[in-house]
Amino acid sequence: MRDVLIVFRKELREILRDRRTLTAIGLAVVATPTILFVISQVSVRSATQTYKVGYSGQIPAGLDVLFTATGLRLERVDDPAAAAKEQVDIGLAFSASGVDEYYDPTRQSAQITDIRVQTILGRYDAAKIAATLQEKGLDPSILDPLPLRSHPLSSPTQAASNAFLSFFLPYILITMSLTGGLSAALDSSAGERERKTLESLLLTPAPRGQLLIGKILAVSTISLLAAVASIASMLIALSQISFGSGSGQDQHVALSPLAAGVMLWLAVLLAASFSSLTIALGTLARNFRQGQAYATPLYFITIFPASIVLFIPDFNPGLAYYLIPILNAVLVLRDAIVHNSVAWTSLAVTSLSLILTGALCFYAALRLFTREALLVRS
Amino acid sequence: MAAAVKVDRLEKTLGPNKVLRGISLEAHAGEIFGLLGPNGAGKTTTLRIICTLLAPDAGSVDVLGFDTRTAPQEVRRRVGVVTAEIGVYPRLSARENIAYFAELSGLIRVQPGRADEMDGDLDRKVDAVLERLDMGSFANQRAESLSSGQRQKVAIARAIVHDPPVLMFDEPTSNLDVLASREIREFMVESKGRGKCVIFSTHVMHDAERLCDRVTIIHHGRVVADGATADVRRGYQDLEDSFLALVESAK
Repeated sequence: MRDVLIVFRKELREILRDRRTLTAIGLAVVATPTILFVISQVSVRSATQTYKVGYSGQIPAGLDVLFTATGLRLERVDDPAAAAKEQVDIGLAFSASGVDEYYDPTRQSAQITDIRVQTILGRYDAAKIAATLQEKGLDPSILDPLPLRSHPLSSPTQAASNAFLSFFLPYILITMSLTGGLSAALDSSAGERERKTLESLLLTPAPRGQLLIGKILAVSTISLLAAVASIASMLIALSQISFGSGSGQDQHVALSPLAAGVMLWLAVLLAASFSSLTIALGTLARNFRQGQAYATPLYFITIFPASIVLFIPDFNPGLAYYLIPILNAVLVLRDAIVHNSVAWTSLAVTSLSLILTGALCFYAALRLFTREALLVRS
Repeated sequence: MAAAVKVDRLEKTLGPNKVLRGISLEAHAGEIFGLLGPNGAGKTTTLRIICTLLAPDAGSVDVLGFDTRTAPQEVRRRVGVVTAEIGVYPRLSARENIAYFAELSGLIRVQPGRADEMDGDLDRKVDAVLERLDMGSFANQRAESLSSGQRQKVAIARAIVHDPPVLMFDEPTSNLDVLASREIREFMVESKGRGKCVIFSTHVMHDAERLCDRVTIIHHGRVVADGATADVRRGYQDLEDSFLALVESAK
C-alpha cells in the first residue's frame, strides 16, 4: 500500500504540472457554460423573433391582427411559392377555397413560422365556427363533446429542463470521465516507455501491481475531478441562464440532490474503469502518439449511448440492458434526472456491471504491464 | 571469496532468437567486472535477467545469496542499474526524480528526533548522493531543462541512492560526451573502492581494458573467454586485438 501512495503522489504531481491535461480540463470547464450561453441566446431569440409571412389574395378580417400578435409580419408578395424560397419565411396564398401554404422544411425559421401559422389558423377556424353556431342558436361546445382538461403533474418547464439535462449530463459525464484523464493515462503508460523511464521503474523493489494501482488511482482522480468540474460549471451556468419561451416564465435548470448523488457515484465508477482501460491501451503503445491512436475509438462510446436518450427519449429497456457498460450509466442517470427517482435494482446491476468492467480492464492492464514484451519491445 | 553475482548456464529465447546459450559468470565485491561482446551478443539480456527484469528459460542467477526467480524483490533491493537510456521524469526536479526512486526502494522520511531510523532517512541519502555526484547546482531544476550529462547524473543517482552493493552499468557512456564519460568511469572506480561489485557491460575495449579487473567475453550468446583482463589479452597487443581474435575464431 505504501508503494501505491508513493506512485499516486508522484503521478498526481506530474499531472498537475502538465499543461496538456490542465488546458484540456480548463477548456472543458469554460467551454460548457459558453456553449450553454450561446444555446440559451439562440433559444430566446428563436422564441421571441418576428418572422416574415409573404401572402397574396385577401386576408380574412381579423386574421391579420392575430398574425401580428403572434410575432408574424405580413408582407404582400406576387408569388408566395417563389417568395418562400428566400424572401420570406413562409408564403400564403389566400383564395375563396382556402389557404395554400408554401415553405421550405429545411429552414428552421420556416418550421417555426409554420407552427405559428397552423396555430393561428386553427384558432381562427374555431372562433369562426363558434360564431356561426351561436348565430344559428347552437351551443359551440357541441363541437367538443369530450373536452380535455390537462393537469400536468410537474412543471412543463422543469420537464423541458430535465429532458435537456438527461442528454447533456450523461454526455458530459462520460466524455469528461474519459478525456479528462486520457492525456495523463497515456503519459503514465506509453509516455513511460517513450521517455525510457519504464525500465528504471520496474527495477525498483515495488511490486508491479502496486505501481499500476498507483497510476490508475492518480488518473482516476483527475478524470473524476474533470467530470465533476465540468458538470458543476454547467450547472452553475444553467442556474444563471434562462431558457425562455418569451412568456416570462422562470426557466432555470437545476439538478435534484438524488440525481447529483447518482451522478457522483457513476462518475467514480466510470473514472476508474476508463483509467484502467486507457492505461491498458497506453501500455500496448510504444509512444504517446500511438497511444492516442489506440484510444481514438473510445470517443465513439461516449456519444452513442447518450444519443440513444436524445433520439429515443422514452426508451425503457429491460434489466438486461443495464448490464451494458456506459449505456447503463446513461439510463440510470436519465431516470434520476427525468423522474427524480432511481430503481435500485437497475442501479445495483449498473454498479455491478461497471465494477466488473473496471476489474476486467485492471486485469488486462496488469497482464500487459507485467509481460516481458513490455521491455523487449521498447 | 564468494561471488556477489553468480550466473549459471543461463539460457534465454526472445521471439525467434535464442539470445543466451548457457552463459555462466561470476562477479565479486570490490572489483569491476567487464561483460564484453559485440552488439547482439546477449550482454543486455544477461544484465536484464540478473536484475530480474527478464526471467531465464534455463539456468539460474544468484545475487548475494538471493535467487532471481524466488526472491526478485530482494535482488532488486541490492542492485542498481545504469543504462545508456537516460530517461527521467521531465516535470519533476532532479531531486524529486531521485527521491521518487529512493522511496520506491524502501527508504523512508524519518520524523525529527527518531535517530534510530537515520540509516534509512530518505532526505539525508538524497542529499548525500547529490553531493557525491556534484549535482547541487541543478538539484531543484526540472529535469526537462537539464543537459544530457546532468540527466545521466540523475540516472546514476537514482540507481545508487539506496546504496546497493551491486552496480551494473550497461553501455553507460554510449550517448555521452567525453567529459561526462570520464565522470562515469571515475564513478565506477570510486564505487569499486567502496567495496561494490561493479558489472560493466560495454563493447568499447579501451574502456574495459583500463577499468576492468576481470572480463567475460560473450558472442552469439556463448562465453568465448573469461578471466583476469591481463590474462585474456595475453599474447595480443591489447584487449581489442584479443577480442577481435576471439570473436573471429568463434564464428
